[in-house]
Amino acid sequence: MPKDKCSTKNMSSSIQMKYGIVPVRQLLSTIYAAKNVQNKVLSLPHHHYKISGSRSASSTAAASEKSSGMQFRPLYLDAQSTTQLDPRVFDAMLPFMTENFGNPHSRTHFYGWEAEAAVEEARENVAKLIGAEAKEIVFTSGATESNNISVKGAARFYSRDKKHVITTQTEHKCVLDSCRQLEAENFEVTYLPVKSNGIIDMNELEQAIRPDTSLVSVMAVNNEIGVIQPLQEIGELCRSHKVFFHTDAAQAVGKIDIDVNKMKIDLLSISGHKIYGPKGIGALYARRRPRVRLEPIQSGGGQERNIRSGTVPAPLVVGLGEACRIALQEKEYDGARIKELSDRLVNKINAQCTHVIRNGDPDRAYPGCVNLSFAYVEGESMLMGLKDIALSSGSACTSASLEPSYVLRAIGAEEDLAHSSLRFGIGRFTTEAEIDYAVDKCVEQVNRLREMSPLWDMVQEGIDLKSIQWTQH
Amino acid sequence: MAAPLKTFACSWCLLRHFSKAKAMPIALNNFIIRNFTNSTVGKFHPKIINVFKNNVVMTSNAEIHTTCRLAHGDYEWQDPVDESQVVNIEYVDRKGTVIPVKAKVGDNAMYLAHRYDIELEGACEASLACSTCHVYVDEKYLDVLPEPDEREDDMLDMAVYLRENSRLGCQIILTKEMEGMRLTLPKATRNFYVDGHVPTPH
Repeated sequence: MPKDKCSTKNMSSSIQMKYGIVPVRQLLSTIYAAKNVQNKVLSLPHHHYKISGSRSASSTAAASEKSSGMQFRPLYLDAQSTTQLDPRVFDAMLPFMTENFGNPHSRTHFYGWEAEAAVEEARENVAKLIGAEAKEIVFTSGATESNNISVKGAARFYSRDKKHVITTQTEHKCVLDSCRQLEAENFEVTYLPVKSNGIIDMNELEQAIRPDTSLVSVMAVNNEIGVIQPLQEIGELCRSHKVFFHTDAAQAVGKIDIDVNKMKIDLLSISGHKIYGPKGIGALYARRRPRVRLEPIQSGGGQERNIRSGTVPAPLVVGLGEACRIALQEKEYDGARIKELSDRLVNKINAQCTHVIRNGDPDRAYPGCVNLSFAYVEGESMLMGLKDIALSSGSACTSASLEPSYVLRAIGAEEDLAHSSLRFGIGRFTTEAEIDYAVDKCVEQVNRLREMSPLWDMVQEGIDLKSIQWTQH
Repeated sequence: MAAPLKTFACSWCLLRHFSKAKAMPIALNNFIIRNFTNSTVGKFHPKIINVFKNNVVMTSNAEIHTTCRLAHGDYEWQDPVDESQVVNIEYVDRKGTVIPVKAKVGDNAMYLAHRYDIELEGACEASLACSTCHVYVDEKYLDVLPEPDEREDDMLDMAVYLRENSRLGCQIILTKEMEGMRLTLPKATRNFYVDGHVPTPH
């Protein structure tokens, strides 16, 4: 196959016309080219919009792409990795990057008061989304920092008589790595296994809790397979044993209902860029009654209840606050729409492809995260053939390594299936046309790769691959 | 004949009341006026003060404190009247030296430290606006102390070297149950200096 055929730059205009997908950046460049505007490259969201029956728009865009030397941007189906900044969030942030530039900790003048008022309003919006009080929200640089502060901070603070922490084998790397660091500090960590559906066994958790357990950390929604853990049951169990409960809710906030009081959550991590907010900002919910004490990771001026010293970045905080406000307002609508798109994706793939396994319990998973294993196909090879779709195999933190996903290993997926998984991340701005295009391309690639696979031939002939004794290299 | 005083909140409010009533009972000088029920010493008492005088209930909700013979913190400078009032406690200063103190019921641990030149700063003068009177309380006495209220907890958040047994000294009012209690000063407070300067109480 010629090299240029694979490149995203030369995606055929016929495909664009068939699905009616044109990146807004291309459309605008076409319009600007027609008006002889010199500056064709606009820094606007690179999102694909459906142009209903607009054949000419598609072909013009394709032509313009060649003339302007602009590269076609792939469809985005990796919402678990990051999300596009909602334009409304950008609008809210902009004034704080320009004229309202004050330091929110400057107490002696208007610029500081103005920034502080905006930060406090944002704090209120974040709190409302999870049913907390504004005073319980601490702004951080993201969920990674929130997780580090929670796990290390709580464990270290209560370390005089409690040196045991419980987490799960499917947590995000930053939680697992924090626990590993605690182990180096002579803490004991129990890594709970999960069942084949990705959910923890409550009996195992109860048995793991000891008198010297200070913290249980279980993520709300898994970033790779999307399973939702039984937060309320875990919270009640932890409260009854007087153990603090932390949850990494980066993938859950704004997508599933979370109420920290009802679920008895003591610490909760939030990320801005997973909920259509800016990157580099997150939040930590730290309960005030019964109060959770944390040893700060970072020393300084004592901002954010002394938990996270450092000047609070007002523009980013305003962005996070607005993202949370929008999430609360549109959660129901977004949820229903994403569920619809998710069902469309899974049903269409299953209708056209055999030997497709959905990883994680689909009935107890967030529908926007669809992790599928295509048997007898290499996930990396699939991605190479799907360059015009932004997808992921494993999490973004580990997709560069050749090790199969530790999450899929934990749920008992066989190594070959773990290597053949793809994660489809559906978000607020995903369209039906994008789903349809992704399905068609995906099925096409699976069939193409299976045709080349001797394993697939053997399966077609009815040979049980498990019965074969493979020789070592 | 005037009936005895039944209830009072603090000397400021009481004096304010009597200055309004244009009558100052001589007996007042013999009283150490103190509010034992409220652990937050030094805050305003907008409570109604009931004073039985000539069998007439007189009330005042004045919040402005006027100067009088006993300023906040002065009570701690008085020795116990009798043995039933005595509470023996110990302070451990930043160098690790144990300082035994013969205190009395109702003493505020922060003002008491000032009397004995123990470096417990108390920058906000017990108004719950700082964490410079941060102390570690002996584990076995933690349950004897009343639960910290939310404002104390908020200030403790700001304290350095915080521990599970951390409390603000200005919120510890001594009772007989605290006999033998040890209060340890942390290695530093939020108002730290690297040039050797030691902040002194105002």
